[in-house]
Amino acid sequence: MRSNLLRISFLILLFTQMSWAASGDSADTHEFTLNNGLKLIIREDHRAPTVAHMVWYRAGSMDEVNGRTGVAHVLEHMMFKGTHQVKAGEFSRLVAAVGGRENAFTSRDYTAYFQQVEKSKLDEVIRLEADRMSNLNFDDAEFLKEIQVVMEERRLRTEDNPGSLLNESLMATAYMSSPYRHPVIGWMNDLQNMKAADARDWYRSWYAPNNATVVISGDVDPRQILAVVEKYYGAIATHDLPVRKPQIEPPQKGVKQSQVKAPADSAQLSMAWKVPRLEPGKLDDPEPYALELLTAVLDGYDNARLNRKLVKQEKVINDVGVSYDMISRGPELFLISASMAKGRTVAQAQASIHKALDELKQKGILESELKRIKVRILSDQIYKRDSIFGQAMEIGTTEMAGFSWRDIDYILEKMQSITPEQVQAVAKKYLVDEGLTIAVLDPQTRKSEVSKGDR
Amino acid sequence: MNSLKKSIAVFFLAFGCFGVAHAILPIEKLDSFKGAKGFLVQTKTLPMVDIEISTDAGDRYDPVGKSGLADMVAGLMNYGVKGDQGLLSEAQIADEIADLGANIGLSVSGERAILRIRSLSRKDLRERAVKLAAAMLSSPTYDVKILQREKQRTITSLLEAETKPEFVLERRFTKSVYGDYPLGNTPTVKTIAAVSANDLMQFHKQFYRSDRMIVSIVGDVDRVQANEIMQTLLQKIPQSGAPIAKLPELQRSPVEPLAQREIQIPFDSQQAHIAMGMTAVTRSNPDYFPLLVGNYILGGGGFVSRLMTEVREKRGLAYSVFSYFAPGKDTGIFQAGLQTKGDQATTALEVMNSTIARFIADGPTPSELIAAKSNLVNGYPLRIDNNRKLLDNVSSIAWNNLPLDTMEIWTKQVEAVTLEQVTAAFQKYLAMDRMRIVVLGAQNK
Repeated sequence: MRSNLLRISFLILLFTQMSWAASGDSADTHEFTLNNGLKLIIREDHRAPTVAHMVWYRAGSMDEVNGRTGVAHVLEHMMFKGTHQVKAGEFSRLVAAVGGRENAFTSRDYTAYFQQVEKSKLDEVIRLEADRMSNLNFDDAEFLKEIQVVMEERRLRTEDNPGSLLNESLMATAYMSSPYRHPVIGWMNDLQNMKAADARDWYRSWYAPNNATVVISGDVDPRQILAVVEKYYGAIATHDLPVRKPQIEPPQKGVKQSQVKAPADSAQLSMAWKVPRLEPGKLDDPEPYALELLTAVLDGYDNARLNRKLVKQEKVINDVGVSYDMISRGPELFLISASMAKGRTVAQAQASIHKALDELKQKGILESELKRIKVRILSDQIYKRDSIFGQAMEIGTTEMAGFSWRDIDYILEKMQSITPEQVQAVAKKYLVDEGLTIAVLDPQTRKSEVSKGDR
Repeated sequence: MNSLKKSIAVFFLAFGCFGVAHAILPIEKLDSFKGAKGFLVQTKTLPMVDIEISTDAGDRYDPVGKSGLADMVAGLMNYGVKGDQGLLSEAQIADEIADLGANIGLSVSGERAILRIRSLSRKDLRERAVKLAAAMLSSPTYDVKILQREKQRTITSLLEAETKPEFVLERRFTKSVYGDYPLGNTPTVKTIAAVSANDLMQFHKQFYRSDRMIVSIVGDVDRVQANEIMQTLLQKIPQSGAPIAKLPELQRSPVEPLAQREIQIPFDSQQAHIAMGMTAVTRSNPDYFPLLVGNYILGGGGFVSRLMTEVREKRGLAYSVFSYFAPGKDTGIFQAGLQTKGDQATTALEVMNSTIARFIADGPTPSELIAAKSNLVNGYPLRIDNNRKLLDNVSSIAWNNLPLDTMEIWTKQVEAVTLEQVTAAFQKYLAMDRMRIVVLGAQNK
């Protein structure tokens, strides 16, 4: 099969000589659905004798209900605490024994577990992972210890981290009804009141083959692996999933503001606009692509607009970052984050950001700016293939958001067709006050401040 | 589930014969050029190449009172150069890198400054990226205005970092372990403010010489092309220069009463942060492998280490707890650490302390040793399964003067480690009455 990369490369003069499209994505990627509804995606990559095995559950913090925030992530921790046959802690010992690297992560959209192993050990980790899909059996004592670990995790990542507190406040302010307003790790009070039964309920509700996608990338024979996956995952019974309410966020009707006082030296500013995401089945909607490119025009490389103007020329901001991810299950924000330069105020930074955005809205962007970003996207298509784990990650996140891995190349190809006018148009349409939320970190002196320059 | 248990036994038996099925890619020595050494691993499946230039110009050469100078010398290389066609501004450099679809990154560790290029391997793109990197290495302009701006940015970031528990802990711990050795002095607002454009020029002239450089290349280039890359990179760099004063020896952490080894820092955070450690070994030390295997058991092995079991699994005291050795060309350190709710600091420190003390005194159990070797040997392919990881390996082998067959014999060296060697090595290099301890933010109940 031909590679899309080859076709899109014709768009870019620099890349016309490319001739590396010997195998395309679809030729080395295989999809199967088991009778119990489990989806299996295999990406062959034979460069080294290793494999990444991941199972993705479409159950993240956005599926939680009030009073039980953080339970998706707590359950992720409890998944290492024993099944009917494998006692607490044994899972990790068995993976370690075969030389595996393992971990798990929870997001707003999903919970995922993974092992990386030498290829002859793949069957073993498939067996272990399949076992805990339906046989999890932890006791209350394990839960009571692990919930303490999760609270330590929250203290480390959030309570003592002003940037995280600011982000938490931003999300809770931007969203009124969407479950995206809650932090993935959960509110501390919910963690303090969580019971083992809450975690078990979560597991029984969402951990089912018909809510899971297994992604395997690396040096494998797809037919052989299919048989192993059938053997272990195929035996697990399907069950009905809870009804997911849409919980669509009502339209925002004006600027929202929030302030966080926390120990820090410089003020931080976050400006977030409600913007559309890419919707499954509507892959030709140009707006999400234009927003992705806008992100890169503002912050995609060292000389991109915001860094050049605000950090280097005006010196009003010390560091700036822009983020937007068009692939997600829930609503999306276009986020500009900045920490102040010494002696500069949040008001000055905000004015400078507005000025830079206004200029872009009025004058548009240069063809050369956009071309630069598109070249980067093309070269990243090559670089990403250096990591088999990265390839499994890309497939998993795409699938969890309701797309197919087959869409990945189409999405990238579509990106190359976006014009400067379309980028300008989304800036004009969406970077407006009606959908804006501003969160400011107001730095406080710590009670126990150590003297400056202390060592 | 008996079958699961049985299968471990099978894997334990099996690991001994691992490593024959897949040949490990060889490291080729390139022609040395102007006193620099070069190494290549050819990987042809992806049309890309990773190139690294390591220069013996790390933080340890920071002059007294100017900590942060080595960082700035490297960090400002992409902010203006004299190229073949005249001056290139920081904006032109950034645009050129972006237009090539390349990445050029600079970083500085205690021992060395590292410039890394990732480029598509197509000749014209690759050559432009290499030429640009060559200009950065040989002819940075160190514009006074840009230096002023970057100094201010660094100072602002430092002031921010000084409000963070992990930074305050690490800085104090570093000073405590390294003492008067140059790496004990980390950048402060004062030392950054003291750096001038002339300091940058002088440091650059003194240390960025080809006889202090090593080039490592992994990717889709052949030997001839790799030699060309190396020559282009080093063409305009002087081969040698004025002699450089020898660094002082890093003195072994002395035996001292606890009161002189332990530092308590009051800090108003929810969690206390704890660091413990001492001077240890070089990478080329013959006891490297016993220490590697032993540390896997003590605090390096993910969810299954003793520290993880005692601190997190049994007691729920911390989310993260670890230990590691950081060996280099010079003696590196051993460090262990954790973070816990402020009023649990004393308990957590006791658990960490007794776990490490018991390990040094008694060593691992036979089954722990088997499990550790099993993980390290079976998992070795994961350390070398892409270009970036291969480059990390080649770079370490080259920098530390290790044999070129290091990757081929790595698993054999792990397998050869005995229980007695682990115990002896830990007792030789670590001692509880030498450990430096820093506790930040403990609250007494």
